[in-house]
Amino acid sequence: MSGAGLSIRGIGKSFFGVPVLTDVSLEIRPGRVLGLVGQNGAGKSTLMNIVGGNTAPDSGDMLLDDKAYGPANAREAERSGVAFIHQELNLFANLSIAENIFITAMPRGPAGLIDRNRLRRRATDLLREVDLDLSPDTLVEQLSPGERQLVEVSKALQLDARIVIFDEPTTSLTPRETSRLFALIDRLRSGGTAVVYISHILADIETLADDVAVLRDGKLVAAGPRPDFPASRMINLMLGRDIDQLYPPHRSAVRDEVLLEAEGLSLPGVVKGIDLSLRQGEILGLFGLMGSGRTELARLLFGLDRFHSGELVVQGERVTRMTPRRAIAARMAFITENRREEGLMMNVSIAENIALASLRALGNALGLLDKRAITASAATFASALQVRSGPIDTQPARSLSGGNQQKVVIAKWLMSGPSIFLLDEPTRGIDVAAKYEIYSIVKDLVAAGSGVIFISSEIEEVMAMADRILVMRQGEIASAFARERFSKASILRAAFGEKEAAA
Amino acid sequence: MNGITKAAGISLAAVFMACSAGAASAAGTTVCYAFQDLSTGFWVAGHSAIVDTLKAGGVEVVELNGGHDANRQLEQVKDCIAQGGNGIILTADDGDSGTVVVAAAQEADVPIATFNRPPSDMSKGIIVVADNEAVARAAVDAMVAEAEKKFAATGKKLKPLILMGDLGDPNAVQRRAGFMNSVGAHPDLFEAPVEVATKWNSQVALAGLEAAMTADPSIDFIFTSSDFLFPTIQSVLEPIGKWKKAGEADHVILGGLDGDDGACKLIQDGYVDSTGVQDVYLEAELALTGIMDAIKAGDARPNAVKLDPGFALSQANYAEMGAKTWGCQVLAAK
Amino acid sequence: MSDTIPAPLLRRPRSSALPALLRRLLLDEYFVLYLTVAYFAVSAFFFPALLDPRNISNQLSNVWPLLAVAIGQTFVIIIAGIDLSLGATMGLASVAGAIVMTSAADKLLLGNSPVWGWLLSEQGGILADQPVAVAVGIAVILVTGGLVGLVNGVFIARFRLPPFMMTLVTLMLFSSAAIWITQSQNIVNLPDGFNRLGSGDLVSVYFGEKVTPEIKRRDILPFVTYPMLISLALAIAAHLLLSRTVFGRQVYAVGNNPKAAEISGVPVRRTIIMVFVIAGFCAAVAAILYSARLQGGRPTIGGGSALLDIIGATVIGGTSLAGGKGKIPWTFVGVLFFVLLSNTLNYMRLSAFHIDVVKGAIILAAALLDVLRVRLAAGDGR
Repeated sequence: MSGAGLSIRGIGKSFFGVPVLTDVSLEIRPGRVLGLVGQNGAGKSTLMNIVGGNTAPDSGDMLLDDKAYGPANAREAERSGVAFIHQELNLFANLSIAENIFITAMPRGPAGLIDRNRLRRRATDLLREVDLDLSPDTLVEQLSPGERQLVEVSKALQLDARIVIFDEPTTSLTPRETSRLFALIDRLRSGGTAVVYISHILADIETLADDVAVLRDGKLVAAGPRPDFPASRMINLMLGRDIDQLYPPHRSAVRDEVLLEAEGLSLPGVVKGIDLSLRQGEILGLFGLMGSGRTELARLLFGLDRFHSGELVVQGERVTRMTPRRAIAARMAFITENRREEGLMMNVSIAENIALASLRALGNALGLLDKRAITASAATFASALQVRSGPIDTQPARSLSGGNQQKVVIAKWLMSGPSIFLLDEPTRGIDVAAKYEIYSIVKDLVAAGSGVIFISSEIEEVMAMADRILVMRQGEIASAFARERFSKASILRAAFGEKEAAA
Repeated sequence: MNGITKAAGISLAAVFMACSAGAASAAGTTVCYAFQDLSTGFWVAGHSAIVDTLKAGGVEVVELNGGHDANRQLEQVKDCIAQGGNGIILTADDGDSGTVVVAAAQEADVPIATFNRPPSDMSKGIIVVADNEAVARAAVDAMVAEAEKKFAATGKKLKPLILMGDLGDPNAVQRRAGFMNSVGAHPDLFEAPVEVATKWNSQVALAGLEAAMTADPSIDFIFTSSDFLFPTIQSVLEPIGKWKKAGEADHVILGGLDGDDGACKLIQDGYVDSTGVQDVYLEAELALTGIMDAIKAGDARPNAVKLDPGFALSQANYAEMGAKTWGCQVLAAK
Repeated sequence: MSDTIPAPLLRRPRSSALPALLRRLLLDEYFVLYLTVAYFAVSAFFFPALLDPRNISNQLSNVWPLLAVAIGQTFVIIIAGIDLSLGATMGLASVAGAIVMTSAADKLLLGNSPVWGWLLSEQGGILADQPVAVAVGIAVILVTGGLVGLVNGVFIARFRLPPFMMTLVTLMLFSSAAIWITQSQNIVNLPDGFNRLGSGDLVSVYFGEKVTPEIKRRDILPFVTYPMLISLALAIAAHLLLSRTVFGRQVYAVGNNPKAAEISGVPVRRTIIMVFVIAGFCAAVAAILYSARLQGGRPTIGGGSALLDIIGATVIGGTSLAGGKGKIPWTFVGVLFFVLLSNTLNYMRLSAFHIDVVKGAIILAAALLDVLRVRLAAGDGR
């Protein structure tokens, strides 16, 4: 098969011996929008990185308008007319819009100096094309995420790109900005540009795409015109199985024994007067808006910050000054909301990450460690949680997908044998299937008698998982809901406070 | 820097060739020259003197810069020995490490000479060192000649003053001795000398000299133990109208020691009467001939102390001796 | 998924990239060792004298003291720190130990020292000529090194001062202290038992003919020496500590991600303090070897460009300035490379003005190769 546009033929690629793409062939046609879907780690980004010249494939080749195409780097790809608009935008916040658009092709005057007038004129034209009513001299740091997205698009237009790739473009956009972007993509399509649109939001794919391609485990599992792909089919293809529900069924495992109790816990300016108790087998949901003090409370409980007044009783013992080491000794575990910064050693092997919280227990009386025993032990936890990776003693954590990274963090804590879990946004940024796996793990934990404090800003998730929900507002516990009284409206009302909810 | 190197090189190569004309061809001989950073004109001049002269004699030179790191210097000298160097010329970081390096070389049966900075233990190796007493005496003798003329004219005894260095430093002690010996030989000419301590510090020198000049304005004969204090002397004498060229009224007879470029300029200009010069070129030659003779004679552990008596550079002999003064070479290259 | 499990070890080469063998060589953790061997082989071709046993014995003697102090720097760099004060630590420790051991001091030179009259007199230090002088002197050196490290570590860990700032301050502070105490003089007249540690050879070799009636002293080559034993013992202990113990894992964890380490129960502050104490201790061991070799306590022992060698050898070995990555064997290789580099430069008969230029250029080339490796390795990640 060949023709105008981009033909991807039999592309394969492995990282650390793990294939992330296997024999993928795909046609990207001018004047059409291709929706590319798949779970995290399915290989979407890798495939587009190959098209965009950021990574070289191990096998296979590509044809661009019937000519061999194999960009050595992103610049070469751009020169061939392929523009890649990344998830995390590649803009220089300290430069103006115009400078960003022409960063690789500044119009020069005589003597090689930048021709500011021409720069401004051409930038103004481009901004008009993307319907962005701003001066080209505006600094990018002053723009909203949506406006930055549009600047990226004008950059692609400046390159006269024939293929434009969008990677999760709408995650940080407001609805208005999103519709503006869609209108622009429409115009690109009618102008004969080929568009690749990667997204988790299937509704967007349904609105925009002419064709759909589904990747799973590095393989193309299906491709064809969009009408053949209703959302349910896309999901099933992505997961490789039929799922009828997002959450495992709720079954209370709550027992009587109290694991953790806080009374009047306060830290001025952060939280005040927190009373809570966690029982064996209980999932205690902690819901609240950003800045309501949820994470801060978890940090106090785990001893990362010190409370000024109040009392903490862990496993029946009164603690006046908590530290992470005491918390671990009291069999607590803290899975933080930020995996990269607080959870993992990104450049270190999976096995070492898993062993980190149990080092002291793993050493013998002299503090000596047996590496092989550690790897073996880590391997049992990794496989129990179904971490998908290459050899765990050499593969670094950074090479895993988000869901697998989160599993490594959980495995690390499981190894230390805790019975109290603080989970802060445990499913943030991971895909549907991995979320389901995490939920199941949490259910298994409580079934085995552990207690879990489950912090989340996704209300459906908390309601599906928790036995009880505490709602936080401005550093205080605003109200508590038993499972039989769960209602989305009342929980949200409590989180916002009556007035905001009424408005 | 290049200019100096060349100037000194050419003149010295000539000296060496003249001295050792007909001496055995040194081809196949390797001499290592271990020194410290060339941070002042004096060391640059000494470095070129040695390297250029050795090369002119057909000797292969290995330059080893210790960078003021005694350990590195020891390693470098050991390297040189391991590489089959036939002889070593050393400017040590300090006297103590010099002793260790000399011992290491002699231990390995390689002749070694030290240039300018003597080891603490002067009984081992060929030690070439300036005779500070003699150099100081030569400089002061030249000043005394001027004093005699003045005494003949006025019939009034002169009032001498010495700016002494840190007396913890043997060089300073010897320089003071040279001054005393010269002045003391003419009791008819001088009153008792005033001694001002400087601790080699220009601030201390300034305070001491100001106090002395205030207490006794008749001081008219000043010797500094190092040339670097001439600007200090100028800053004291100028305000009281005594910074005058030789031959003018109120001229204070001035002398120093080092022979640096500043002193050379002041002699050119007529303000300073004399300075004692370490004959860096003679010292280079003494070290060289010492090493080459030992190599030729197969003497693995030559021990000798070779003194450089130095000379005085004065208004009178400037034309003749300027070319042999390292400071004037530096000045010429500027 | 079972059908996708690959034969993982041999990856197919990238079409536009380097040949697989070269690529694997570049990515090997002992790349610098291969580089050193290759450099040695090429240099030996031009300067056969490099292979002379005399030269090799000599170069090895240069390796040991540098290795000791570079080991300390390796620990610090693994926790993403840097210790600029190691040279000053060496100077201070050297002086402190020498003051205890010396058997005579010159009043003219040292009379102004703040310790003159109570710790030091014309009869030497308080343990002058005592049989225990050497043992106590060594202990004083080691303790001084450890204390300097403790000061660094406590300020960095407790008050969160950047290691660069803190050790820059202690570099100035302790090197001035050493100079002040000794009035810029060296403390000589150390016991022979101490001086022997600097070079004393336990096993010597002779490669000449057997019939030679008199063996020249320069032909007797020290092979096994005290510095060798001391530094190797230190290296092995440090390697085991880093690779086989809980503490070692904690050091890497702190270097990789101090936040994650703290949350996971690693005693981050204590680890940082311990690392700086170890660094100071290693510097003190180097101070013993250097002082013994020069037979004197010297305030300037780690001055000059010594610091650059200490950091340079560690980093060239592969220990990452970004932290979290480093090994003692790598540092050993880095030290070998640095010593070999100085050795070959001496053979090149360059003028003093050119040697440092060439040295800088070679180090730059090695650093560029390292950057290339990191890039290649990153190409393997996502």
